[in-house]
Amino acid sequence: MGKVVRVGFITALVLSLISGCSFGAPNSEQVSELTIYSGRSEKFISPFFTQFTEQTGIKLNVRYADSAELAAQILEEGSNSSADVFLAQDAGSLGAVSAANLFTQLSTDVANQIPAKFNQAQRNWVGVTARVRVFAYDPKRVKTLPKSISDLTKPIYKDQIGIAPTNSSFQAFLTAVIESKGRAFAKSWLSSLRANGVKIYPKNSVIVEAIDKGEIPLGLVNHYYTWEVAEALGRQINVVNGYFEPGDLGNLINLSGAGVLKSSKKQDAAIGLINFLTSPASQKQFVEQTHEYSPIPSIQPPANLPALDLIGSPAIDLGSLKNIRQTQDLLIEVGLL
Amino acid sequence: MVSTTAALVVALSLIPLLYLLIRAAQKPVNESIALLVRVKTLEVVGTTALLVLMVVLLTGFFGLVIAAGLHFLELPAKPWLVIPAVLPLAIPSYVFTYTWIAFAPGFSGFFAAVLILFLTTLPYVTLASLAGFARVDASQIEVARSLGLTYPKTFFKVVLPQIKTHLSGGLLLAGLYTMSDFGAVSLLNVDTLTVTIQNMYRASYDRTAAAVISLVLIVLSALFVFADENIRRKQQAGVAIKTTTIKSALIKRSSYVATTSALIGVYAVLAIVIPVYVLLSRFFSNTVEISWQLLLQASFSTITVALLGALIALLLSIPLGILLTERSNRFSQFSSRLILIAHALPGVVVGLALVSFGSKLGPIYQSTFLLAFAYSLLFLAKSIASMSASLRAVPTGAKEVAATLGLNRWLVLKNVVTPIAFPGIALGAVLVFLTAMKELPATLMLRPTGFETLATQIWSYAAINRFNEAAPYALILILIAAIPTFILSRPDKSDRNKTNAELVG
Repeated sequence: MGKVVRVGFITALVLSLISGCSFGAPNSEQVSELTIYSGRSEKFISPFFTQFTEQTGIKLNVRYADSAELAAQILEEGSNSSADVFLAQDAGSLGAVSAANLFTQLSTDVANQIPAKFNQAQRNWVGVTARVRVFAYDPKRVKTLPKSISDLTKPIYKDQIGIAPTNSSFQAFLTAVIESKGRAFAKSWLSSLRANGVKIYPKNSVIVEAIDKGEIPLGLVNHYYTWEVAEALGRQINVVNGYFEPGDLGNLINLSGAGVLKSSKKQDAAIGLINFLTSPASQKQFVEQTHEYSPIPSIQPPANLPALDLIGSPAIDLGSLKNIRQTQDLLIEVGLL
Repeated sequence: MVSTTAALVVALSLIPLLYLLIRAAQKPVNESIALLVRVKTLEVVGTTALLVLMVVLLTGFFGLVIAAGLHFLELPAKPWLVIPAVLPLAIPSYVFTYTWIAFAPGFSGFFAAVLILFLTTLPYVTLASLAGFARVDASQIEVARSLGLTYPKTFFKVVLPQIKTHLSGGLLLAGLYTMSDFGAVSLLNVDTLTVTIQNMYRASYDRTAAAVISLVLIVLSALFVFADENIRRKQQAGVAIKTTTIKSALIKRSSYVATTSALIGVYAVLAIVIPVYVLLSRFFSNTVEISWQLLLQASFSTITVALLGALIALLLSIPLGILLTERSNRFSQFSSRLILIAHALPGVVVGLALVSFGSKLGPIYQSTFLLAFAYSLLFLAKSIASMSASLRAVPTGAKEVAATLGLNRWLVLKNVVTPIAFPGIALGAVLVFLTAMKELPATLMLRPTGFETLATQIWSYAAINRFNEAAPYALILILIAAIPTFILSRPDKSDRNKTNAELVG
């Protein structure tokens, strides 16, 4: 018995050593699999991966987790990371990996359909989809729609608004407010919002559900949550998206994106995946299936949604939204975090 | 030999602490100090401490009452009643909390967190007290009763002192769980230290600041562990032992039976019926086709890796257990305390620590083995806490007598110590298994790429609000958890059989 175990153990050890050696495969067309760290959820992204495998024959091993935690994991792994590609829900997570100099710089012929303003300036990562900040509201209860974020502090919206201060999209929006209007403005806006009885929620989706249930009439979220919640509940919900006036900071555009790890020994295949995800065909599929916007101007917006340039997003460099720390400190200072 | 092995185990279990010290040291001292003394940090420490205190008080009271009822009363369908009292242990805290929010809109804030964490951690105390009651000397109860003591007086004067170590072991686990929990407090908007730590990773990717705050958590945890030690020390070690397994006659008083049944009933409604009801109603209001193959695969993966984790934890805790019984010296006490203190760390910190070390190990990184090993490190404290409570109940006299009768070290351990400490050891292994099954943050980082457990599947659907699709996985998780819970709920029976066999033999 003991001998059997020992032999089994040694065999396992030898096998694992052999398999361990094979992962130093050369950078060539023989690549048979790629490892992806995906902050995008399996449900929505796996159909794309399946198609990629069908087209290229490259098998994808995907690790699904929260974008920010995957970023922290990649930072810990450093050059030992097993990931070839990091696909994240938000620019912040990509920015953290990029700041640690762990991404390969992508040449301009990678993701060449995506306009420069939707990529990181040094092309350490590129945008894959765009999402717009909106106010979701109950059309039966909100008669006067806010025109700008400053309206939200008025008495007519007292105890009416829900926000999710821990959410990374909300923090990106607030960072944009600080960057363009200054810290003092942001602070007084947040304080007035708080004095106006703003309600705190843990997540965007919970805000949309709260509006549907009649708990609050209005909340600040990303545009696609009205679909996500309706699809999850399997019914129509009593919530619609509203937009602030063109150019208002409340209409900020955010990106999800992807980058190739420097430590990857399969650079070409990894770049192939990024080109696949940013190709017009995939982009159309994102628009149809996840109701996100494509950064490619020629691709139609999601059904029943205004085009990006009609919404009039504020002119903000997304690369400038790195300073989340200052934003958090402000949220803490006014007591919202 | 044993000491060396124990030292090795301690070294392994200190990986997360070591990691934190390295990361915290990377932050300039003045920045660290500024971070520590800011008002927000102090507030958060206060909230965390208050939360732990309230949870410990509540679980202590109700856990003791429920366990006493389960042990001493003649209850209808008794072994089945233990299941609802323990099962909530298997429900991941974010599922638990989310279902409550869905059930009661506006459910949020400090007292909501107290309620949820009380409901989640009550089984630790109930189980620990049950393990303690199983070792209470029935003859003393008979004597106390015959001297005219009422049931409550007998309980407080005779029974409670005998199970104090077990009770405090359970409270320790409940308190440490409360400190480390992220799922419940974050969804309920309560700022505890773990929320601050997680926010630092999530929004500012600041690993050094997160490490500094984690060390604050360690200090709080240390205070808690030492407070517990002080309470324990006031008690004489190993005062009583069941000399025979004659059970005290079960009490039939109907008011007690009604109270216990009602308590368990209310608890089952709050902690099982509501979550399961919400999950099922989500499922049936928007049914999706269940992929039985994925469900089966995830169940199999979950059971395999959690069992392996429980086994490794058991193996790792043995050398320390032996040291604690044989010569409870400074080293063994200090080590077991260190392991307990580190148990307050949230999963994400332990996960990242193991990523940091593990990613240098080549093929072992992100293997099933490393994941199981991570579970054993994460939950070693559960094994140690349960085991050491039982080991303390072994009277030194019994060991000495056995030794003078010529039994060698191993025979004493095997024939004297292990049978007495068995309920605690088994409890520890089951606790590790149950909590490993629902573990999420470390699983997400350390599982082999593509390896999905029930917890990761629940998470992946819950993250996009598809509670209807998460429901089958959550329900299977609860069902699987019921099995070891049921086995554990009948320690009296297995105990009795074994002793009878020994008597006959």
